[in-house]
Amino acid sequence: MRSLALMVLAGLLASLTGEGARLRAAAAASSAAKPATVAVAIEGMKFSPASVTVKAGDTVVWTNKDIVAHTVTDKAGSFDSKIIPPGGTFKYVARKKGAFAYLCSLHQPMTGGVKVL
Amino acid sequence: MKKTSLFAAVLFALSTPAFAQSPNDAQIASIVVTANQVDIDAGKLAATKGTDPEVKKFANLMVADHTGVNKQAVTLVTKLKVKPEDNDTSKALKAGGDKNIEKLKGLTGAAFDKAYVDNEVAYHQAVLDAVDKTLIPSASNAELKALLVKVRPAFVAHLEHAKHVQSSLK
Repeated sequence: MRSLALMVLAGLLASLTGEGARLRAAAAASSAAKPATVAVAIEGMKFSPASVTVKAGDTVVWTNKDIVAHTVTDKAGSFDSKIIPPGGTFKYVARKKGAFAYLCSLHQPMTGGVKVL
Repeated sequence: MKKTSLFAAVLFALSTPAFAQSPNDAQIASIVVTANQVDIDAGKLAATKGTDPEVKKFANLMVADHTGVNKQAVTLVTKLKVKPEDNDTSKALKAGGDKNIEKLKGLTGAAFDKAYVDNEVAYHQAVLDAVDKTLIPSASNAELKALLVKVRPAFVAHLEHAKHVQSSLK
């Protein structure tokens, strides 16, 4: 009887520690920068929000909700969407750290920024 | 101020008894499509005949943007089963546009650039006024009204862009 009780106890402990390890691993994964996706709308001849801050590895997705075509063009040349037609999107995986100032190369008063930490 | 005379007819048409009663949706559709087409036609001419790189760039943008707007306008009126209906304003816009093209065809070099851009400033101002004072308030279909509201920021940006090019030419 005693040995059976010990076995049950050992089994319980094993399953508890196994479960605990899985939980700890899951918690660690979610806190350790899982790449995020940040959305920017292009609407009413504006980028909205005009500036976003992301972590390296995150993805920024611009969606053109306007009636005319636009571009997302980094002034320093790190990225350029080329023409994004109405309803189109542009995805940029922000691997390079730093502050990027971009504009719509067609409608130059339209500007925005991406800060990559 | 010759440049304003081209659009005096348009502004007149928008403020005369023809529109003492507001334009209906079929008339608004015609005004929108005609207004865009007029600017596409002038833009196509300036894209080839213009000299200044900024003028040519602006002209190409006008062709692209107004073609985009018209595509969406035509898609919407087709969906709504609205048949664009000619009216005094759309006719005045067309006549003003034709007159502008004729005038531009007789010019070259810097004179062409200046005349084109001056007209673009006056044109976008006139169309914006029409959108704000007549077209948006008169549109009865919610989707048509929404399209006009959505188009407005592009026209504002074009006006600012045209003014910027205009000042750079002086």
